[in-house]
Amino acid sequence: MFPGKLWVIAVAGWLLAAILRTAADSDLIGRLKARDHKAMAELYDRFGRIAFSLIFRVVRNSAVAEDLIQETFLRVWNRVHSFDPQRGALGPWVLTVARNRAIDYLRSVDGRMRSGALELDRLEDPALFNGVEDSALAADRARRLKIALEKLSPNQKAVIELAYYEGLSQTEMAEKLNQPLGTVKTWTRSALKILREELAEAAIA
Amino acid sequence: MSCEELQDFFELYALGLLEDEEKQEIDAHLRRGCDACRKRLAGAEAMNATLFTLVPDVRPRARLKHRVLHGVGVELVGWGWAGALAAACVLVIALWLSVQERDRTNELADARMQLIQVNAERDRLTQALAFLADPQTKPASFGQDNQAPPRGYVFLHSRLGVLLIASNLPPAGAGKAYEMWVIPKGGSPRPAGLFQSANNGAIHILNGPLDTSTLGVVAVTVEPEAGSRAPTSQPIIAAPVPGI
Repeated sequence: MFPGKLWVIAVAGWLLAAILRTAADSDLIGRLKARDHKAMAELYDRFGRIAFSLIFRVVRNSAVAEDLIQETFLRVWNRVHSFDPQRGALGPWVLTVARNRAIDYLRSVDGRMRSGALELDRLEDPALFNGVEDSALAADRARRLKIALEKLSPNQKAVIELAYYEGLSQTEMAEKLNQPLGTVKTWTRSALKILREELAEAAIA
Repeated sequence: MSCEELQDFFELYALGLLEDEEKQEIDAHLRRGCDACRKRLAGAEAMNATLFTLVPDVRPRARLKHRVLHGVGVELVGWGWAGALAAACVLVIALWLSVQERDRTNELADARMQLIQVNAERDRLTQALAFLADPQTKPASFGQDNQAPPRGYVFLHSRLGVLLIASNLPPAGAGKAYEMWVIPKGGSPRPAGLFQSANNGAIHILNGPLDTSTLGVVAVTVEPEAGSRAPTSQPIIAAPVPGI
């Protein structure tokens, strides 16, 4: 794909981009920890829109989404002190917090799994994002994953939607879809495998 | 379960969707410091985050940023100042335009007033010329023997009325006006109109018709500016009407 010296240039470019991205994230996290107000504005500029889109996708209500985006950034502001800029990526953490706030709201409205709130809270621990690649939100990965989603069967796609955007466990999915739990688990496992393998191929390429 | 067997569960674990038994298995592996499981969890977090970005793009309201920042005690000072400055500029410009508009309105009103005064002056002069040009007009003078002004002429015409031209008539003073009187022979003074005088004199006209044959004197007194029914002061002008 890359003949001759182009290999060297491509790898050097990738490394430089990764270094710059890491430096930018690291600098932003450092300034957030130092309570730099401009850093918070910068954080919102970088992730506010995608986080809002994600929350809106889950709750389907602008006013609620605005409340939840405020809660999301408040949580990030309050917990960033324990984020390790050398080991974790900021974007995946912010989006996870946003998604969890939306799912928690959905569950409270539906009156289900109140104990799950503590579990979501635990899963927002910055330490869990150690080792997550900076490139998690790269456009190329998103493009490949979108293509992979198109390859899923309607049932596989349905369980992915229910898991990611409605926060349903496999047992709850089985009830909702009126299917045996084993069937739902098979759909879920196979769907995730397809997505995982697509990303693995992207990493190799 | 072995690490290999757990590899299918990390995405759901990161989403908080595993059943208790499966979750506890992964927790146990992670507590043991299983490096392979940590890497798989990081990969699952990354894949989940990528999937989160695939939602339809929805643009939040611009004010949401201020609300979010305000929520953590951050105010956008720079833009706030810019906004305040812009608002102040708009206010100053609005005030300036308002003053300009008011000045223009005043100037227009002044110009209209001047035009009205000029037209009135022109009409009076036209009327005065009509008196002077008509051979039936009878003149009478006053103050010719006085050392000090006022001096002038009264012109009488049975159809046009009375024209008074006074030179060097001083202003009547604050709250005062000159009032002309026509006094028939052996009769009482009848009011013949109020007028003011500029420093260079005054022209006053009583529009006719008028029975000049019975008229004895045309006089002028200083009266309150609203006028009087009968003279309240001594005449400063008294022009005897010559026999016609």
